[in-house]
Amino acid sequence: MASLSSSAAAARATFMPSSCQSRPAGGGRMARLVTRAAASSPKLPSGRRLRVAVVGGGPAGGAAAEALAKGGVETVLIERKLDNCKPCGGAIPLCMVSEFDLPLDLIDRKVRKMKMISPSNVAVDIGGTLAPHEYIGMIRREVLDAYLRSRAEGAGAEVVNGLFLRYEAPKEPNGSYLVHYNHYDSSSGKAGGEKRTFEVDAIVGADGANSRVAKEMGAGDYEYAIAFQERVKIPDDKMKYYEERAEMYVGDDVSPDFYGWVFPKCDHVAVGTGTVTHKPDIKKFQAATRLRAKDRIEGGKIIRVEAHPIPEHPRPKRVAGRVTLVGDAAGYVTKCSGEGIYFAAKSGLMCAEAIVAGSANGTRMVEESDLRKYLAEFDRLYWPTYKVLDVLQKVFYRSNAAREAFVEMCADDYVQKMTFDSYLYKRVVPGNPLDDIKLAVNTIGSLVRATALRREMEKVSL
Amino acid sequence: MAMATSTFSPPASQLALRRQPGAAGRYHLLSFPRLRAAAEEAPVEAPSKPLPSPAASNGAAVKAKEPEPTPLPRFRDSRWVNGTWDLKQFDKSGAVDWDAVIDAEARRRKWLEDCPEATSPDEAVVFDTSIIPWWAWMKRFHLPEAEKLNGRAAMIGFFMAYFVDSLTGVGLVDQMGNFFCKTLLFVAVAGVLLVRKNEDIETVKKLIDETTFYDKQWQATWQDEPKN
Repeated sequence: MASLSSSAAAARATFMPSSCQSRPAGGGRMARLVTRAAASSPKLPSGRRLRVAVVGGGPAGGAAAEALAKGGVETVLIERKLDNCKPCGGAIPLCMVSEFDLPLDLIDRKVRKMKMISPSNVAVDIGGTLAPHEYIGMIRREVLDAYLRSRAEGAGAEVVNGLFLRYEAPKEPNGSYLVHYNHYDSSSGKAGGEKRTFEVDAIVGADGANSRVAKEMGAGDYEYAIAFQERVKIPDDKMKYYEERAEMYVGDDVSPDFYGWVFPKCDHVAVGTGTVTHKPDIKKFQAATRLRAKDRIEGGKIIRVEAHPIPEHPRPKRVAGRVTLVGDAAGYVTKCSGEGIYFAAKSGLMCAEAIVAGSANGTRMVEESDLRKYLAEFDRLYWPTYKVLDVLQKVFYRSNAAREAFVEMCADDYVQKMTFDSYLYKRVVPGNPLDDIKLAVNTIGSLVRATALRREMEKVSL
Repeated sequence: MAMATSTFSPPASQLALRRQPGAAGRYHLLSFPRLRAAAEEAPVEAPSKPLPSPAASNGAAVKAKEPEPTPLPRFRDSRWVNGTWDLKQFDKSGAVDWDAVIDAEARRRKWLEDCPEATSPDEAVVFDTSIIPWWAWMKRFHLPEAEKLNGRAAMIGFFMAYFVDSLTGVGLVDQMGNFFCKTLLFVAVAGVLLVRKNEDIETVKKLIDETTFYDKQWQATWQDEPKN
């Protein structure tokens, strides 16, 4: 459920803890890992290559499998539903297109304008600071996932249609994992699939928020939001409004701790909302979101209803032995905006690169320490982004007054520029200090005014 | 002061559905709002289908259509023109009556909180609270609070000075020269500013926990790192 319009700079200027280094998150490939390429771990017997199972064929799994296969590792990608339309906001940042070499025809729509709507319907347009080549790409998950999987296959990975069941840990230190799965093969005629096993040296769990690999390895639970979405086909003249525009609604009626959205898809819109703390009321929040967007989706037909959990924070354990988690399975979804696709793909890529480096291109056995290197690198690169969004959520999503201030802040050009920069390129760029101070003052001013109005509101009796 | 001229209040049934403002207003600085007085489902919602379990399937094509909820009265005010307050109508002896603007905006927000409305691109709301000058906010909200806090500080200061003098015999001027006394003074001032109700002490403690909670969740995987 990706989106943006978080005033990243506001939080940076006002609330950035001193311990947080905002180093530019660019490049940082694992050059230093190669020099320590597991010279201590044993060479694989009889010159066989390292075998890795990637469980889950979404963005994380696809990116991981491709990088592993390219690096000379024998890769098996297990996906339970090859035509899966995973419920998703479907927004990807610009850097994903360049970092993963995505062809532009994958992108259904280029969103260049966003409308932020406060609880009292104050509407702010953002996107005016975007350069002509900048946009938020809206994709269909079934299209993106299939593309990444086909690239993995092209690089040499084996894509298997099956459901991962469980794995057995090795009995000796350098033994293999035994993966049990249900193999689906339409030609065999078996309805439920046949149980099969195979041996691998390492497992990458990329099977999403309800990860089975995570359960098997005892990774622990996380808090999660329920995101609920209805796909609505609206008349063409109304669809024109959403040509390049997405909307974000904030308010207690729409969600107590998240936001409601209207995102354009290929030929329809997705209207949805989410919540962590009030999951049983999700239908009420959805009705409220539909009400707020009523005039613009009137006459639309709901063609699909979908829901999915979104993790709120990483699992307590992300690696155990030679099994590790990436993407939603690990819990790499940002707060405030709920963005997950890019971090899933990037974490899959980084995990694969760590495995390739730690195994010296598939010739040596990997160890848990190699997988921990991927965790360390990922945490180092993206911790500032996650922390900033967490602070934004804590400050701006806690009450209607805070949300009013939030929307007011979004009207500021500097905020828009910083927000888009940090979203599109995933870098926390230090801005002009004078502007930052002005921004901090404006933020505090907005919050104070909104809180003051809130106190007046309590006195009003209608 | 001009009377608000909106035609009617939102119907009582709608007000009952929304949370009570008293309970919800005290959010302090906690990230998750406390569960409010339970709101019943809006009476016009169709009985909901059970939510499809995420593991089984991701979604379903919709068959039933929910009945339309009854239309709610929209917010109307003669001074609310084109999505913002018409300042010319808030005239008080030549100058703009900012207090009335603040009142009107508070009323509008309360209305919309109780009765959310559909947005429409033709009547876009563009009102920004920063058009109200800073001194209007100051006069209305800060000064009464400042008066209260200064009063408290003065009372505490007077009695502490008297108390210390009676115990140690050190007069007020000599007290000020002492570093320990200056520290106590600082603590007293900070205390008066931060702790205004008994609950504030708990809030400050919770706030400290809150700021580091997310960090701890991220570092959880490093807790059991094998030391090699």
